[in-house]
Amino acid sequence: MSLHPQYARPRSAAQAVALLDGLGAGAMVIAGGQELMPHVNYGRLMPAVYVDIGGLPELRGIAEADGAVAIGALTVHRDVQSSELVRAKLPLLAWAAGQVGGGWQVHNRGTIGGNLVSMHPLYDIVPPLLALGAEVEILSTAGTRRVALSGLIAETSHGLGTTTLLTRVLVRPTSPSTGWSYQKLKITEGSYGSANAAAVVALDGNRVTAARLVMGAVAERPIDASAALKGLLGRPFDARAAAEAEAACAALVVQPMDDQQGDAGWRRAMAGVVARRALAQAVARAGGAAG
Amino acid sequence: MSHEGEQDRYVGRSVRNLGQDAFVSGVAKYTSDFQFPDQLHMHVVRSPHAHARIRRVDLSGARKVAGVVLAMEGQEAAQLLDPVPHYIDPVGFGGKTVPIRCLAVDKVWHYGQPVAVVVAEDKRTARYAASRVQVDYEPLPAVLDAAEAVQPGAPVVVPGWADNSIMALPFANGDVAQAFERADRVVRTTVRIHRFSTQPIETRVYNAVPDPETHGLTFYGTSQNPHPLRHVLARALRIPENLIRIIAPAVGGAFGMKMHGHPEEALVCLLALRTQKPVKWVEDREECLLIGAREQVHEMELALTKDGEILGLRDRALANTGAPSACPGWGMAFLTGLTMPGPYKVQDIDVLMNIVVTNKPSWNASRGYGKEATALALELAIDQAAREMGLDPVEMRIRNFVPKDAFPYDSPTGLIYDSGDYAGAVRKAMEALGYAEWRQRREESRQALGFGASAKVAGGGVVGAAAPGAAGGAKLIGIGLAYELTPEGGAIPGTMVAGYDSSTVRVGPDGSVTLLTGVTTPGTGNPTGMAQIVADELGVEVETIRVVQGDTTTCPYGFGNYSGRSTIVGGGAAALAAREVREKILTVAAALLGVDKATVTMDRGVIRSSAAPEKTLSLPEAAYACYTRAYDIGLAITPPLEAQATFRPGLIRHSPDAKGRINPYPSYSNAAYATVCEVDLETGQVKLLKFAAAHDCGKVINPILVEGQACGAISFGIGGMLNEEIRFDANGKQLTGSFVDYVMPRALDVPAIAVAHHDSPNPVTYLGLKGAGEAGVGGSAAAVVNAVNDALLPLGVSINDLPVTAPRVWAAIQAAKDAARPAERPAAATREVA
Repeated sequence: MSLHPQYARPRSAAQAVALLDGLGAGAMVIAGGQELMPHVNYGRLMPAVYVDIGGLPELRGIAEADGAVAIGALTVHRDVQSSELVRAKLPLLAWAAGQVGGGWQVHNRGTIGGNLVSMHPLYDIVPPLLALGAEVEILSTAGTRRVALSGLIAETSHGLGTTTLLTRVLVRPTSPSTGWSYQKLKITEGSYGSANAAAVVALDGNRVTAARLVMGAVAERPIDASAALKGLLGRPFDARAAAEAEAACAALVVQPMDDQQGDAGWRRAMAGVVARRALAQAVARAGGAAG
Repeated sequence: MSHEGEQDRYVGRSVRNLGQDAFVSGVAKYTSDFQFPDQLHMHVVRSPHAHARIRRVDLSGARKVAGVVLAMEGQEAAQLLDPVPHYIDPVGFGGKTVPIRCLAVDKVWHYGQPVAVVVAEDKRTARYAASRVQVDYEPLPAVLDAAEAVQPGAPVVVPGWADNSIMALPFANGDVAQAFERADRVVRTTVRIHRFSTQPIETRVYNAVPDPETHGLTFYGTSQNPHPLRHVLARALRIPENLIRIIAPAVGGAFGMKMHGHPEEALVCLLALRTQKPVKWVEDREECLLIGAREQVHEMELALTKDGEILGLRDRALANTGAPSACPGWGMAFLTGLTMPGPYKVQDIDVLMNIVVTNKPSWNASRGYGKEATALALELAIDQAAREMGLDPVEMRIRNFVPKDAFPYDSPTGLIYDSGDYAGAVRKAMEALGYAEWRQRREESRQALGFGASAKVAGGGVVGAAAPGAAGGAKLIGIGLAYELTPEGGAIPGTMVAGYDSSTVRVGPDGSVTLLTGVTTPGTGNPTGMAQIVADELGVEVETIRVVQGDTTTCPYGFGNYSGRSTIVGGGAAALAAREVREKILTVAAALLGVDKATVTMDRGVIRSSAAPEKTLSLPEAAYACYTRAYDIGLAITPPLEAQATFRPGLIRHSPDAKGRINPYPSYSNAAYATVCEVDLETGQVKLLKFAAAHDCGKVINPILVEGQACGAISFGIGGMLNEEIRFDANGKQLTGSFVDYVMPRALDVPAIAVAHHDSPNPVTYLGLKGAGEAGVGGSAAAVVNAVNDALLPLGVSINDLPVTAPRVWAAIQAAKDAARPAERPAAATREVA
C-alpha cells in the first residue's frame, strides 16, 4: 500500500517475473488495467509498484502450436473475437469474447489473461474455456509450467499469487462437427450476467455422444456440470432430456450467489434455464433436431 | 406583436440547443473541471453504522500523514458552523424539526453519515489519511422499516422526539364512509414503492475559493438554486450573504439531487476559510447512491360502482424518508398526499400520509418530487380494480377523469387545476402506441400458450415447460396505461420554494442581446427556450442571444430550477423585460427615422417603418444611439438598454380557504403513458416493445426539447421499475454502492418512444406554459408495472410490490404455478380475456 507508487516496465516476461520475485506482495501486475484500475480509483487497492507488462509482444497474439490454439495472455477480447483462427477452430470462445460487458472500450483494452486471473465469478471467459478443456502456461523464475485451467481455478482463490505470470492459454480445437453455445442471461444491456452457460456437444445421428457444460455467474466458482449430464449420452436431446438436464444443472448450484444481479432462488433456477438453452443450441448446431 | 405571422416566430419551433457545440465537442466546463492554484482536497469520513453513539474520534493518525493540512470532527465543526437551515422546515407544516449539523455530534443516525473530514494536498492523500481516522462507536438498535418505526417502543431516531413521525398529514374531503357504503365493490391494493433515486452522470462537486480581500469566498458548485444556497451558507458560516458568490457551472444532470442542504456544501466553505486555500470535494458514486428517495407504502382502497366509477378513495401511506436532513427530500411525501387523487374526479377522499424518519440515509428531492408516488399508487390501484372487476383499464380511466370542461377545477385537497383534457390525451397515447394491433398480438401470445379467449385461466399448465429451443421461453404480451398529473412551478409559503422569478434583458451598444435570469439549467435546454421567447418579443435572431445563469453576482435574485418552473417563470419574466427594452429601442428608432413610433417594427434585428418603407435601420445602429444620444433623441427613454422583470404566475393561493387549504401551484401539466411488454415466463425477464406518451405541458416552446425531457423521464420510469433499487442489509448498511448493483437502463433497454403533444394552454402563465422538465417518472413507471401485470393476467397473479425485476416476476410466475390447483385460484383468474 503506497501513496507514492513506483512504476516498472520490464523488457521481457522473464524480467517481469524476476522483478515480481524480488518485490513481494506490494507489487501488482498491470496489463489492460480493466480489472485493476477501478480498484485503484476507488482506493481499494494502492499498489506500491505497478509492473506494467502491457508492452511485451511475446505475450500477445494468437497462433497454432502443438495442435492447439495458443493465445497470448495480453491478447485483448477484440482480437479473440475477430481472429480468423479462433473463429474457425474455437467458435465458442470467439463468440463468448464478444459477450464481455463494458462495450468496445473494454473489448479493446481488456486481456484474456486479466479476465482469467481476476477470478471474477461474473466474467465471461472462464466457462467457455473450461468447457473447451483449456490449459494455461504459468511463468515463474523457476520456469514455465503448464496446467489445466480447471486445476488453476481449484488451487488458488486469488489468481496466481504475486510472483508468477500467466503467459498463454492453450486450447485444442473443437471438431467442426461438434455444436457449441454460450448463453448469457443479463437483467439489462448494461449489467453483469446473472447466469451463463457454455456447452459443447457431439452427436452421432441424433444421439448425444459427448456433452460438456460449464455454468458461470451463479456461484463463487464456475460449475462444471459435464459429469452430471452423463444421462444425456446415447439419447436424442428431446424435451424430456432437456427437462432432466435443466433440473440436474440447477441442482448442482448448492450455494447460489445472492446479489443485485438476482436472488439465490432465481439464480439457481436460471442456471438450469441457461444450461438447457445452451445444450439445445449446441445440439442444433451439431446438426441435431432440437432447435 | 411586431411579427408577420406565426411561422416567423421562434416559439413553437425545434430550435437547435444554443451552445450545444461546447458540450458535443467536450470544451464545456463542468464543475469538476475547475482547478485553482494550491487547491486542497476534502475527503469525508462516514459512519459504517446505521445508528451508533460516538464515543471518541481520534484524528491523530490522519494528521500524521504527510500532505494532510487539516482534519476535523463533529464537536469542533459544531463550534465553527451553525446548523444548516432547512430548505423546507417541517415546523412550517406543524411537524417536528431538528437542527442539522454538518458532521455528526455524539451520535450517527444513518449509514454513510459524515463524521469527520480530512483536507490534504491531493485527493489520494486525503482519502488515505481519512482511512487513518479512528472512531470509537457504540452501536445502537437501528430502525430501517417505516412500519416498524411507527410501532410503539421502536428505537427513536432523533433524540428528544416522542416518536419517529415527522408529521402525519390528513388530506380528507367529503363523506368517504358514505361512499364506501354505497359502493358495489371495494378493491384494496397495497403498493410498495422501493427506494430508488436519480443518478446524474456528474456527481456533486464543490469548489470553495477564499477571497482574502473580502474575507468571503466564491463557491463553484453543482447547485440548482444558487441564491437560496448562498442564504443557507451565509447562515451556517455566520457571514453576510454579500461576501459569498455562488457560481453554478454546467452540470451533468441534477434531477433534484443538487438542491441544497447537503453537509458537504458548508464544510467545503468552512475548510476553505480555515485554510485560506481553495478546497475541492468530488462526490464518488458510492456517496451519490446514499441519497435516497421515493420509498413509500400505500394501502389503497377504492370504493367503486359496478361500472368502475370511483366513489371514494382511502389511502394509508407511510413514507420512509430516512434520517433527518436539511435537504428538501421529506417534502416529497407531502406532495404525494397533496396530489391525490390526481386526474380523477372523485371528491370523497381520506388520505393520511405519515412521514417517518428511520436510520436509513436521508432523501433529497428527486424528479417527480413525490408526484411520481401519487401516480404509482393511484394507477396501480386502478389497474388492480380493473383486473378484479373485468373492466377495460382505458375505459375505466376515461370514466373517472375530471372532464375537460370542468376547469379551473377544485381538487379535494385544495389544489386548483388550471386546464387539461385527460381523456383526449389517453386516446392520443393509445393511438400512438398502436393499441388495436397490440391487443391482437397480446391475444395471439395468450392463444399460443393455451390461454384462449374462451378458455378459463389454466394456472401453471404450459408455463415453464422445458421447450428444447434455445431462443428463449414462452412469452406473454402485456399492455399498460397510466396517467400522471404533475403540478408544476410550486411556491411554498415561508420558504425559498418561490413561485416567481426574475430575468434581465440587456442590449449592448453593439446590439448584442444578453439574458440574465434567476432560473438555472440542469441541462434541460431551458436557456434555448427562454432565448426563443426573447427573440420573438424583441424581434432579433435567436442565435445572437447569450443567456447567463447560475451566478449570484451577475444574475437577478432567483430561485433556480425545480418543479418544472424555469421556462414558465424565467421565460415569462424574460418576455416582460424584453418588451420593455423593445419599447426603448423602437422609441429611439422612430426618432432616428423621423416617423411615428406606432409605425415602427423590428424583426430579426432589422427596424422598419410602415410610414417610410424605403428606410431601414439595424439594431446596432438604434442601440448605439440609445447609449450615446441620451440628451437629444434618447431623452424619451431611460438608458441603458436594460430591463429587469419578475413573472409571478396566478392561481397560487397562499391564504388558506375555509378548510385551511392552500394551492401552491399555478400549473398542472399532465400526460398519458402507455407501453407494451413481453414477459419471458422461464426467466421473468421483461422486454419493452413500444412506448407512447401524450403530453400536455401547455404551449410548447420547443418540441424537440420537450420530447427530450419526456424521453428522459420515461427512461427514469423504466429503469426505476425494472432494475434500479437501493438495498440495505439487516443492520442498515447500504449494499448498493456502484453501477454494478444500481443498474440503470441503457439505450438498448429503452424501446421506441412516440411522444404526442396534447396541449391545453394554462390561462395564468405566459403563452400558456405548464412546465415540461419534471413530469413523467411516475406515469411511465406505472405504465410499465401495469403492462407487466397485464401480461401476467392469464396466470392470475399481479405484482404491486416494486420493482418488477426479473427475479420478482419469475417468483410471481412460480407462485401461479404452485397455485394452479383450481379451488385456490384467485378471483382475478376467473376473468375471461378480452
